Amino acid sequence: MIKTVNLTKIFRTDEVETTALNRVSFEIQKGEFVAIMGPSGCGKSTLLNILGLLDNPTEGEYYFLGKEVSKFSEKQRANTRKQNIGFVFQNFNLIDELNVYENVELPLIYLGMSSSDRKKRVESALEQMQITHRRKHFPLQLSGGQQQRVAVARAVVANPHLILADEPTGNLDSAHGEEVMNLLASLNQGGTTIIMVTHSQRDAEYAQRVIRLFDGQIINENIKSGRAELPVI
Amino acid sequence: MILNFLTTALRSLLRQKSYAIINLAGLSVGIASFLLIALYIQHETGFDKHLDKRDRLFRVVEIQNEPGVGEQHVAITMGPLAASLKADFPQVVDAVRIMPAFDIQVVNYEDKYFREKGLYYADPSIFNMFNIDMLQGNPKTALLEPMKVVLSEKTALKYFGSTDKALGKSMLLGKRSFIVSGIIKDQPAQTHLFYDMLVSMSSAESLPEFEWMKGWGSNSLITYVELDRPESRVNVEAGMVDFLKKHVFSEDDGWEYLEMYLQPMKDVYLDSGHIKFQNVTASGDKNLVIAFTVIAILILLVACVNFINISIARSVKRSREVGMRKVLGADRQSLVYQFISESFLLTLVAVVISVGFIELALPEMNKLLATDFHLDFTGNYLFNIGLIALLFIISLASGSYPAFYLSRFQPVRALNGGSGIKGGSAGYLSKGLVVFQFMISVGLMFSVLVINDQVRYIREKDMGITYRDAVFLNFGSGEDVQKFEPMRNEFLVDPRIKSVAGCSFLNGVSGSQGPVFVDDSAKTKLTVRFGYVDYDFFDAMGVSFAAGRNFDRNITSDKGGSVIINQAAARKLGWRNPVGKRFNSVMGADTSLKPEVIGVINDYHYFSLRSLIEPAVYVMNPERFRGVVIGLYSHTNQQEVMKFIEDIWHDHFPGTPFQPVLASEFASGNYKNEQKLFSLFIYFTSISVLLSLLGLFGLTSLLIEQKTKIIGIRRVLGGSVWRITAQLIRDYMILVVIAGLLALPLTYYLLEQQLNQFAYHIDISMFHMMYAVLSLTVIAFLTIVYKAHRAAKANPVESLKYE
Repeated sequence: MIKTVNLTKIFRTDEVETTALNRVSFEIQKGEFVAIMGPSGCGKSTLLNILGLLDNPTEGEYYFLGKEVSKFSEKQRANTRKQNIGFVFQNFNLIDELNVYENVELPLIYLGMSSSDRKKRVESALEQMQITHRRKHFPLQLSGGQQQRVAVARAVVANPHLILADEPTGNLDSAHGEEVMNLLASLNQGGTTIIMVTHSQRDAEYAQRVIRLFDGQIINENIKSGRAELPVI
Repeated sequence: MILNFLTTALRSLLRQKSYAIINLAGLSVGIASFLLIALYIQHETGFDKHLDKRDRLFRVVEIQNEPGVGEQHVAITMGPLAASLKADFPQVVDAVRIMPAFDIQVVNYEDKYFREKGLYYADPSIFNMFNIDMLQGNPKTALLEPMKVVLSEKTALKYFGSTDKALGKSMLLGKRSFIVSGIIKDQPAQTHLFYDMLVSMSSAESLPEFEWMKGWGSNSLITYVELDRPESRVNVEAGMVDFLKKHVFSEDDGWEYLEMYLQPMKDVYLDSGHIKFQNVTASGDKNLVIAFTVIAILILLVACVNFINISIARSVKRSREVGMRKVLGADRQSLVYQFISESFLLTLVAVVISVGFIELALPEMNKLLATDFHLDFTGNYLFNIGLIALLFIISLASGSYPAFYLSRFQPVRALNGGSGIKGGSAGYLSKGLVVFQFMISVGLMFSVLVINDQVRYIREKDMGITYRDAVFLNFGSGEDVQKFEPMRNEFLVDPRIKSVAGCSFLNGVSGSQGPVFVDDSAKTKLTVRFGYVDYDFFDAMGVSFAAGRNFDRNITSDKGGSVIINQAAARKLGWRNPVGKRFNSVMGADTSLKPEVIGVINDYHYFSLRSLIEPAVYVMNPERFRGVVIGLYSHTNQQEVMKFIEDIWHDHFPGTPFQPVLASEFASGNYKNEQKLFSLFIYFTSISVLLSLLGLFGLTSLLIEQKTKIIGIRRVLGGSVWRITAQLIRDYMILVVIAGLLALPLTYYLLEQQLNQFAYHIDISMFHMMYAVLSLTVIAFLTIVYKAHRAAKANPVESLKYE
């Protein structure tokens, strides 16, 4: 599903040049749950942004669903993104002016779905995340755990092939964190590919594979035992 | 999707109430002011539009360049002009002469006596040329014969109680009897020449006192021509030189320096500021209309700039939303739609509120301008289309920059609270906008100060004549002059009355101008304005003498044999000691008398301050008195004494309505319209100053809010509150100085242009400029100090967390 070849990202300012990713190559199969770990500043989030088509790499190739997407224009990236990728962020990134229902509905609006279809999908996503009773509430009226459940509902509502989670439990206490991780695990069991950036070893336990980054390079890739067999594309 | 956009917009507005209020208040006040001015401009530019042949109708204007008054444009012409133009120029399809019937003071039918303002002599061609709807009578014949009069519906009702009863009836105009030969529809209000009664021109021609109308020597009639096509104007004007040679210059004592041109009917109302003796009922001022248009656009611009500024400044707060929408698949286009629809929504709300403001302001504005402006959503198509266009233009103008700016955000950075736009363009933009705001504020403040001083100057300037404590009574007819002397003595019995004097008018001068010839070998000629006053006029009106003496009852030769001149005349004639000099003849006086100059009065303004004081010659000639001026002691209760005056008036002139003209009202009347429009202009300019200050306050607040993090870091590192504030102030003051340097020269130039239209005006001083810049600097300074100090005093931990 995902293949990167020598993916490199360099941030340049007038005086300083920082290599955030240095020739990173790996593959992720459909249905995998992969955790990306590493110390602060190692390039985890940069990698996730490129994988999520929020940013383009400076060099290297990136194949998403068999297509080389590293040179895509903003419009092409937006189109690919909205059809295939769901995002979950550490700080939830819900839109404060929209209520729970409207936040979850937003990706479907950008997909141009009819209002009746949207209604069905949103209701189902809210139900799946057990947040239906809060549908009229605004983000600021919810607890962190509830906000992240809404964010997950928003990430899954369009049935994306891939969910990218950037430290999804970083702003949550352990109980709520576990709740969110269980949600992601169950989505993965349903067949959704998940790539998650995390600092937490405990969260990484949920993944089948951990990619460890250090100074923009992969230093270790290990497949954990005791989890489902990797499906083959 | 639109619904989602609008929901977000509305909730976003509600969340940031203070900025929403600044935005909405600014925008709605701006739109309301713009629309109020638009109503005024629509009114001013809508005159004479009822004339079907407007494009082909022209008024004949003379350029006289006689020695004395210098070059002057006048819209009064000679009696034979209309017929000769029609005869000599094939392009002139028709021509009409119109003349105010100043000789008819009172109109009477049975027990009804009125003074009519809209009373004119006119040729029969008026009906066709001005497409007048005739309700009764035959337009071809109604004004053909002498002693015929045509009435408007309103006038017919006034005298006869019904329009059906008027036709064929006989009524008294002055002392003569006229037959009502037609009833015409009332004219629309927006006409430069408002007539209620039209008397056949042949009536005047048949009367001995209008003998002068047959020659080319005197000007008194307005001539309008109808051309075959508008472009023919050039041909007719080109032929004027020969035309004048043929008819005018060939006369022995006729004009020597005369040109003529055709003024398009569409310019008559608004663009006639340079023309004297217009005999119009309404005239506007093109420059004021332009000034109002500029201020309307500035107000709208300020409101839009406020909107843009605040939107951009708020964009940092909204960057997370923009980022997330992009992550979820929004492309630039849909974000642009979103922000434009937000701006549309806000503008729509502002338009609705502005309609409320307009409804509140209109009664006041109507009272001030004596107009009847009202919002008409069904009939005034132009206004409604303009309103809708305005809605779209403001939405696009104010929404598009924020829309394109915000939609450029890169999603990753936007999610982290930054714009992700390279080069810090928003920083320069903010500074640029602050400078722009300041420029407008400084320019407007400067204008308000200067215009305000000019208005005060006009109001308070010593006119050289006391238009106070005096009242003028207009005689009903020429014969009333005979009864004047006995009435005068009765008035003087009352101790409250200081003096009584016959005169042409309150200001001492008549409408007539003409040449005086100096009794010297060079045959010096000077064109002067004539004034007919008696012995006590100058005393009654507080006009002082520079040299010589006043007319004296005991010196018989003073009656026609002596003249008094003003200083302007003495200057033009180059006389250092005028007293004792003689003229060969003076209009209306016996040429054999060689009148002697017995006195020189100090110059006084007999017209408004717009024009220079022209040479004037005063003659003691009771035949030409049009009324009497009564001077009162200044402590007198005018209302009480007026009753006494009215009783005496009715004893002497039982058939003449008592319509006193108060000197104070006459004086303010000269500037009333101007003063009102200037007040209105100052109101609107003040509104735009306030708007730009409001915007500046909002923008400064937001920009300082954005600096909260920097302030926090500096505080953590040990920076003092005042040091941080001082730096912010220094940064801003540099912008203020730049704005001042840019705005002042431009505004100075524009104000000079405006002031130069007044013959008497103030000089723009450094004080005006300093005051404009300083007052705004202080306001900006206080805003910054208040906001920066608050931000700086906050707990640094809070400031850092905030970002």
